Amino acid sequence: MLRSLLLASSLATLLCVSPVVAAPPLVLAVGGEPEAGFDPIMGWGRYGNPLFQATLLKLDANLEMVGDLATSWTLSEDRLTWTISLRQDAKFSDGSQLTAEDVAFTFNTARDAGGLTDMTILKEARAVGPYKVELELKKPQITFTSHLVALGIVPKDHYGANYSRHPMGAGPFKLVEWREGEQLIVEPNPYWHGGTIPFPRVTFIFGDEAVALNLARSGAAQLVAVPPTDADMVPAGMHVTHVQTVDNRGVMFPTEPAGGTTDTGAPIGNDVTADRAIRVAINQGLDREALVALALNGHGTPAYGPVDGLPWDNPDAHVAGHDVAAARATLEAAGWQDEDGDGVREKNGVEARFPLVYPSSDSLRQALALGFAEQLRALGIIAEPVGASWDALARQMHSSAVVFGWGAHDPSEIYALYHGSFAGVDWYNPGFYRNPVVDAHLDAAQGSADFTSSLQEWKAAQWDGTTGFGAKGDAAWAWMVNIAHSYWISDCLDIGPLQIEPHGHGYPITQGLASWKWTCQ
Amino acid sequence: MKWSSWLIRFFLERMQRLLWLVPLAMVGLFTLIRIAPVDPVQAYVGARVALVGPEQRQAIATAWGLNDPIPEQFLRWLGHLLRGDLGDSMLFNASVSEVIMARWPASLSLIGAAFMLAFVVGTSLGLIAAAYKGRWPDRIIRAFAITLAVSPGFWLALLFIALFAVSLGWLPACCSAPPGLTLGEVTWGERLRHLILPAATVSIVGIAPLIMHTRARAGGFLEGAAARHLKAHGARDLPLLLGPGLRHALGPALTVHLAGAGELIGGSVLAESIFSWPGLGEATVRAAKGGDAPLLMGVALATLAMVFIGNLLADLAAHLLDPRLRNRPLGEARRRRWGLSHESGSANMTGGQP
Repeated sequence: MLRSLLLASSLATLLCVSPVVAAPPLVLAVGGEPEAGFDPIMGWGRYGNPLFQATLLKLDANLEMVGDLATSWTLSEDRLTWTISLRQDAKFSDGSQLTAEDVAFTFNTARDAGGLTDMTILKEARAVGPYKVELELKKPQITFTSHLVALGIVPKDHYGANYSRHPMGAGPFKLVEWREGEQLIVEPNPYWHGGTIPFPRVTFIFGDEAVALNLARSGAAQLVAVPPTDADMVPAGMHVTHVQTVDNRGVMFPTEPAGGTTDTGAPIGNDVTADRAIRVAINQGLDREALVALALNGHGTPAYGPVDGLPWDNPDAHVAGHDVAAARATLEAAGWQDEDGDGVREKNGVEARFPLVYPSSDSLRQALALGFAEQLRALGIIAEPVGASWDALARQMHSSAVVFGWGAHDPSEIYALYHGSFAGVDWYNPGFYRNPVVDAHLDAAQGSADFTSSLQEWKAAQWDGTTGFGAKGDAAWAWMVNIAHSYWISDCLDIGPLQIEPHGHGYPITQGLASWKWTCQ
Repeated sequence: MKWSSWLIRFFLERMQRLLWLVPLAMVGLFTLIRIAPVDPVQAYVGARVALVGPEQRQAIATAWGLNDPIPEQFLRWLGHLLRGDLGDSMLFNASVSEVIMARWPASLSLIGAAFMLAFVVGTSLGLIAAAYKGRWPDRIIRAFAITLAVSPGFWLALLFIALFAVSLGWLPACCSAPPGLTLGEVTWGERLRHLILPAATVSIVGIAPLIMHTRARAGGFLEGAAARHLKAHGARDLPLLLGPGLRHALGPALTVHLAGAGELIGGSVLAESIFSWPGLGEATVRAAKGGDAPLLMGVALATLAMVFIGNLLADLAAHLLDPRLRNRPLGEARRRRWGLSHESGSANMTGGQP
């Protein structure tokens, strides 16, 4: 039954294809060279599109999970075991069959490797049939699905020490040549199960941003990532696309009163930002549109939360901002008054003044910090912008407001940012934010029966009608902007619908590469 | 003194120097890398920080041996080195020798081309300037040399790109080959075309000192008794310099140039990143930013070897070209050579004893 369905659908695809236009070789300059090579087990493909390897699931343009190698995926009653059925027509680029053994091998090897794939939650992967795999977890964690989406499957028989430089998989492309630091050349994998690719060859150029711009100007590249400052000077024959993202920047507040110290002696807490009224008022008063215009040349969108527009975003948790009157009312009601008339509010003898730290190497974050501080003056709050090295920043981030940037296609990020168990752990939740109700929602989300039903818990953690980490609730952060990613794209190239892109400008645009079309003769 | 015995003593002396130089460099460098405020794991994880949890970070640190005390890490690295193993690069997930070998040819061709270009351009301009001393060609060449000496390399590179690649379209702005072609498909002509701008950029550092040095040396020769004698018989400056004066000027010029090979390597790091040249420089920058100690140590050893060989060749060349040096005891010869590299010293040398 399944097989005939597949057959029917592939026939339908064949019939729908418009007359094939002979496409030229494609040259892209979008960065994203993985220093460590193309081994998914060591972390290749974490930003999607592993190119050479196929994944069990993939995200469509709306970030919904759809099957790639997997034809069905179900989670057991106890939420511990994923059972996954595989398609039977998937072949590696040497023509050999991809089976459940390869999938189990990939997951188990990733669990044991000290690489960038964090598979510590996996207990064991087992092949229970030639095309059926079971993945058993140590504890329920619905965001394990991000591994089903991101982890490219490697061939068990060809995996070894030199795999990362000689990758082979069941993905849409095969490696032709990688000149490290310069360019990567790939050609379509003739055995790919997803159909035919019109481009005879695709080349990725690496190196400096200026290199990409020069290539586009001389007509040698068909798609390049451009910095916002150059974006509007489009060369002839190309157009500019500003892709919406969750590549966000926001201000993190310490939510505990001052007094504590960490194991390493760094101070914890800040008496001003520990007051919820201060954080809520900032969220109410902030003019995010002005920050987008100021710091991003207008190439971005206001950020209301860490996950704007993603399936697990809760628009009800957003506060529109740019409402100085409401912000002042909030401060007055909480007892923050400017008694001495110096333009700064006080409460119980404490001035509404706190340091705002940004990494001094990042000019964008500096611009945002200065704009943020300027806007806060109108509310009678003084944020003092301080540039610091990442090292110094790590010592100050538990007691100062900090400009941070996040953004991923994975809700486990909001778990890490807001769950009490991550307070003060590495770079997660540096403000020691803790709310038992939010923790309960986040835990319930991780324990969900399937990804779809986890969405409502992720949303409830932001705002459930009475509390949440969002601006209407505890306002643990003041999110400022989402940075648009700009690309120059050849007028002849149709790259189809685009996803909201994560942190990282460049490579994510290639998400739909296998279905791009050439529209010129 | 016999040729062979001189050569053997010469090498023995140099090896002795290498024996204390290398361990000192290694310990110093390893200490610097480890006290630098770069957390290798953090640098490796980078923006993926939300997706790689504390447990996995521990696993990465363990896999790299970062949890051991620093002296122990160093000794382990040293132990591997003694067995001829440079260790594994953290960042590139490959053995250091592999990483270096993959990028070495590109860097070497760039530095080699720049070396020759600088030598040819620098010495010929120097000779011409000496022949026309005080007249307009000399003034133009001196102005050119001074301009080069004070211009930052990266600025010149950008100027080259703007002029020759973007405005005129004569030369490619980047890379070691046209985009989209495999090495097998690229012709040698294309590769040479891509080499021109980067090599010109790297050679800049070497040209100015060579011009000035050759000019002073050749000028000294022309004022010497031998040249004055020939000129009295009707010989002219330029033919004199290209004939008998060439040997006089080229030897020390080569010495100066070889001894400055280290600067060319430094300049290549910059040019590689501007022209997206797939050499060692780019990899070194990334290794430094990422706290990749094994790779940095490997690159440092390779660079040290190269500079050392450059200096060695410089000495050898000086001895081969100047028989007077060969016939002296070694210590004295060395003092002589150092005297050579100063313009005043070289002027004294040309005092004219035939």
